[in-house]
Amino acid sequence: MDILFDVLRTAIAPSTAAFALAAIGLNFHFGLTGLLNMGHAGFMLLGMYGFAISLQAGWPIWLALIAGLVAAGVFALLLGWPTLKLRGDYLAIVTIAAAEMVRFLGRSQSLKDLTGASSGIRGKDFKEPFELLSPFPDRIVEIGPFSLHGSRSSSWWLTVVTWSLVFLFAAIYWRLASSPWGRVLKGIREDEDAVRSLGKNVYSYKMQALVIGGMIGALGGITWSLGNSVQPDSMGRPTTFWIWTLLLLGGAATVFGPVLGSILFWSALTLVKSVASALIPSDVLAPTELEPFSLVLVGVTLMLLVVFRPQGVLGNKKELAFNG
Amino acid sequence: MADTVFTSVPREPGAVKPNAILVADGVTRRFGGLTAVDVAHFEVERNSITALIGPNGAGKSTFFNLLTGFDSAQEGEGTFEGRPLRGMSPAKVARAGMVRTFQLTKALNRMTVMENMRLGAQSQPGENLVRAFVPPLWATREREISEQAHELLHRFKLYEKREDYAGSLSGGQRKLLEMARALMSKPTMVMLDEPMAGVNPALTESLLDHIVELKEDGMTVLFVEHDMHMVRRISDWVVVMAEGKIIAEGPANTVMANRAVQDAYLGSHHDTDLFEEREEA
Amino acid sequence: MLATLDRRTLLKAALVFVIAAIGFVAVVTLGGGAEAASADPEVATTAATTAAGGNILLQNLFNGVVFGLLLALASVGLSLIYGTTGLSNFAHGEMVTFGAMITFFLATQQPVSLPLLPFSFTVGLPLIPAALIGISISAGFGWLQDKVIWSQLRRRRVAMVQQMIVSIGLSLALVNLIQWWIGGRPVRLTTSIDPRNQYGPISVGNVTLMSMAIAIVALLGVAYFLQRTRLGRATRAVSDNPALASASGIKVDSIIRIVWVMAAGLAALGGILLALYQQGIGFDDGTQLLLLMFAAVTLGGLGHPYGALVGSLIIGIVAEVSTVWLPPDLKFATALGILIVVLLFRPQGILGKSERVG
Repeated sequence: MDILFDVLRTAIAPSTAAFALAAIGLNFHFGLTGLLNMGHAGFMLLGMYGFAISLQAGWPIWLALIAGLVAAGVFALLLGWPTLKLRGDYLAIVTIAAAEMVRFLGRSQSLKDLTGASSGIRGKDFKEPFELLSPFPDRIVEIGPFSLHGSRSSSWWLTVVTWSLVFLFAAIYWRLASSPWGRVLKGIREDEDAVRSLGKNVYSYKMQALVIGGMIGALGGITWSLGNSVQPDSMGRPTTFWIWTLLLLGGAATVFGPVLGSILFWSALTLVKSVASALIPSDVLAPTELEPFSLVLVGVTLMLLVVFRPQGVLGNKKELAFNG
Repeated sequence: MADTVFTSVPREPGAVKPNAILVADGVTRRFGGLTAVDVAHFEVERNSITALIGPNGAGKSTFFNLLTGFDSAQEGEGTFEGRPLRGMSPAKVARAGMVRTFQLTKALNRMTVMENMRLGAQSQPGENLVRAFVPPLWATREREISEQAHELLHRFKLYEKREDYAGSLSGGQRKLLEMARALMSKPTMVMLDEPMAGVNPALTESLLDHIVELKEDGMTVLFVEHDMHMVRRISDWVVVMAEGKIIAEGPANTVMANRAVQDAYLGSHHDTDLFEEREEA
Repeated sequence: MLATLDRRTLLKAALVFVIAAIGFVAVVTLGGGAEAASADPEVATTAATTAAGGNILLQNLFNGVVFGLLLALASVGLSLIYGTTGLSNFAHGEMVTFGAMITFFLATQQPVSLPLLPFSFTVGLPLIPAALIGISISAGFGWLQDKVIWSQLRRRRVAMVQQMIVSIGLSLALVNLIQWWIGGRPVRLTTSIDPRNQYGPISVGNVTLMSMAIAIVALLGVAYFLQRTRLGRATRAVSDNPALASASGIKVDSIIRIVWVMAAGLAALGGILLALYQQGIGFDDGTQLLLLMFAAVTLGGLGHPYGALVGSLIIGIVAEVSTVWLPPDLKFATALGILIVVLLFRPQGILGKSERVG
C-alpha cells in the first residue's frame, strides 16, 4: 500500500505538473508544427534563471515571472531567426547546442554572483515572495491520505497553482490547435512548401510556435524550480529527453497527451523504483543503482514507443506523430 | 483548339503576347558551374492554357520554381499582372493570385481533405494568433470557406472523402485535391507542375477536363508536362525548353513539327531519370 | 533555398553573432572575471595548460590539436554513419565511453562487476591487450546494434526523425547502463603518472605523444581505406547516392554494417585514448563529447568523410585556445557557439557541397 501512495503522490506532485506544462510547450513545437526542439530544458532553465535572479534583485513577483518568460521568448527568437529557414535537423542540433551553452554559462564560475554557478540558486533565496501569496496555512496540512506543507516548496499551494496552470494551458492548446491558426501549423508540420504555395508566411508561423512553446517551457521551468531549486545540471539533455519521452508516451498533437504522459511517466518511474527496491535484494541492485536502472528503462521505453506506438496512448492512429 | 488571340503572335522563342499576365526577362539560375535556366524573354497570355514542355533536365521545374518564388535567380526580372516578382516570397506570389501545385503531390497527409481545402483559403482572420483565441471573429469566414470547399469538392468528385485523411487517398485523388485546394484562394493564374504524372488513364481524362474548366472560369493556366499527347489536347500555346533555354514557341502542332524540338527530344533519350530526380530534390 | 545565402541571411547571422558576443562578454565581465573551477571534470582536461613559463598560446594550440585528433577518431564514425544512412546518431557518444569502460573493466586491478551480478571479480589484463579486446568488443557491439536495431528500422522504412529519437532513447539507456555498471565516479585506465617533458615551449607527456601517434595512424588508415580499397570506394559511393550505388550492384546493407563496425571501433579507440589523455573518464564523458562531435561533423560538412577531421581539429583548437582569454569552464560553450555561428554562415559546412535546390 505504501508503494501505491508513493505513486499517487508522484502523480499529483507539482513537479509532475511542471513537466506536463513543459511538455505542452514542446507539443506546440513538435506535435503541432513538427519542429525538432532538442533543447527544451534550455528554455526551462532560462525561465527559472530569469525568474529567480529577478526576484533576488528585489523585483515584484509578477515582473520576475515576465522576466523569465521574456528571457525564453528572446532565446527562441534568436535561435529561430536564422535556423527556421534551414532543414529541420539543423534546428535540432542548434537547439541542443544552445541549451547546453545556457547550462555551461549558468554553471560557470565566472557567473557565480548571478547564477550561483554549479550549485545553483537555493530555494530559500527566491521562493519567499511566491510562498507569501499562499492562502494555505504555514504548516503541514493533511488532506485525505496525503500530507504536504501548506505553503513551502512542494506544497498544497504549489500543487494547486501548477495544476491550474496545466489545465489553463491545455485549454489554450486546444483553442489554438483547433483554430485556423493551428491548421496552418499542422499544414507546416506536414509539408511546409505546400503551405508556402498557399500563401502563408511559414517562417512567421514557425517562429510564433517556437516562441510560444519556449515560453510555456519556461513557465514549466519556473514552476519546477518553485518545488525544487534552480539547478543547471538538473536541466541538462536528459531532462529534454524525458520531456520527449513523456510527450510521445501520452500522445503528441493531442490536448491531454502531455498531461497524461507526465503523470504516467513519473508514476511509472516511482513504481519501478519502489518495486525494484522492495523486491530486488540490495546486493543485486544497490540503492544508488536504482536511478540509473530506472533511466535505462526510460531509454528503452522511448525506443519502443517510437517504433511500435508513435501515436502514444491518446494519439489517433491515423494522425501519427511522424511523417511516414 | 488554338485560340484566335494567338493568330497574330509570331511562332518564335520569346514571342510577345497581346495581353500578357506573366512576363520574365533575362532570367538565369546557375548551380555551381551548371546553368540550369537561361531564359531571355518569356510571356504568358492571359486566360489561356500554356504548356511548358521539354526533355528531362531542361530546366522546366527550376524555371517554374523561379517564377513562383520557390527559388531565386541570379539575374533577371519578372512581373505578374504588372507587379515585379523579384524578391517576392512564395507566399506573396500566391497571395498575389498565382498559385502552384507540385510534381510530387503535396497533400497534407495527416489532415483531413476538408482541412486541406480550408487551408487553401485566403483572408481567414483566425489565422492570426491573437484572433484565433476568439472564435466569433473567424467563425463566419470559416463557414464561407467550408461552403466554398464543399462546392469545389463536389466538382472534383471528392465530396464523399471530405472527412478522410488526405494520406488515405489514391495518387490521382491527391492530385485532384491539390488542384482543388489551390483554387480555394480564387487565383487568377494556376501553375501546374506535371499534373498528369503518375495518374491512371481514367483520371487523366477528368484532370484534363478540369484544366480546361479553369480557363473557362477566366483563369490563366501554365503547366509543365512531358507527355506530348496531353499537351496537344488542351493547350493553346506551347513553350519548349531545352538545356535551360526556350528553343521554340507556338501552337502544339507547329511546335511538334519543329526540327530543333525533335532534336532536343531525341538527343535527350539517353538521359537517365536520375537527373530529373536530383533536380527536384 | 539552402544554397542561396543572400545578403539578408548573412546580415541576420552577423547580427545574431554580435548580439551573442556582446551578451557573452557582458555576462562574463559582470560575473567578475575568470576563476577556474578545478572541481569540474571537464576542466580537468585543461590541467595540461599549466605549462610553467612556456608560451600559453602555443601550448593551448598544441593541446587543441591533440584534443582535435581524439575528437576526430570519434566523429569520423558519426560522419560515416550519417553519410551512408542519413541518421544523426545521438548514441555515438556512449560508444566512446563504452570503449574506454570495457577497457577499464578488463585492465583494472580493482574488483569489478556487471549489472545485476551480486558478486565482484578482477580481470586485470595488461593495458594493451585489454585495449585491443575492448576495441574488438566495441566493434562487435556496433555490428550487433546495426543488426538488431538499425537494419531492422531501415527495413521497416521507419522515418529518419523517428530513428533519430530511437537513437536518443538508446543514448539515454546506454549512458545509464554504464553508470549502473561502472558507477558515477571517473575511472582511470592506468595508475601510473605520465611525466611531462619540455619540447621548446610545449610540455607534453609520453603517453599523450603516443596517443597522438596512434590517432594519426588510425585516421590515415581510415583515409587509406576510403581512398584506396574497393570496400572504401563502395562506402563513398553509398555516401554519395545510395540509390545509384545499389543500382550499380553494391550491397548497401553490408556496406552500412561495415561502417557501423568501423565507427564503433574508432569511437572506442578514441574513448581509450581520451581516458589516457585526460587521465580518467566518467560515465557521461562520451555523452558530453557528442555535442562537440556533432559540432565537428556539421562544421566539416555533414556526411563528408574528411569534413569530420577538419571540423574536429577546428573544434579542438577553438576549445583549448579560448581558455587563454575565457574561463576554462566555458570552453565547450565556446566551441558550441562556433558551431552555431558557422551554421548561420555556411549551413552546408566547410567541405560540404552546397545543396542543389530546384
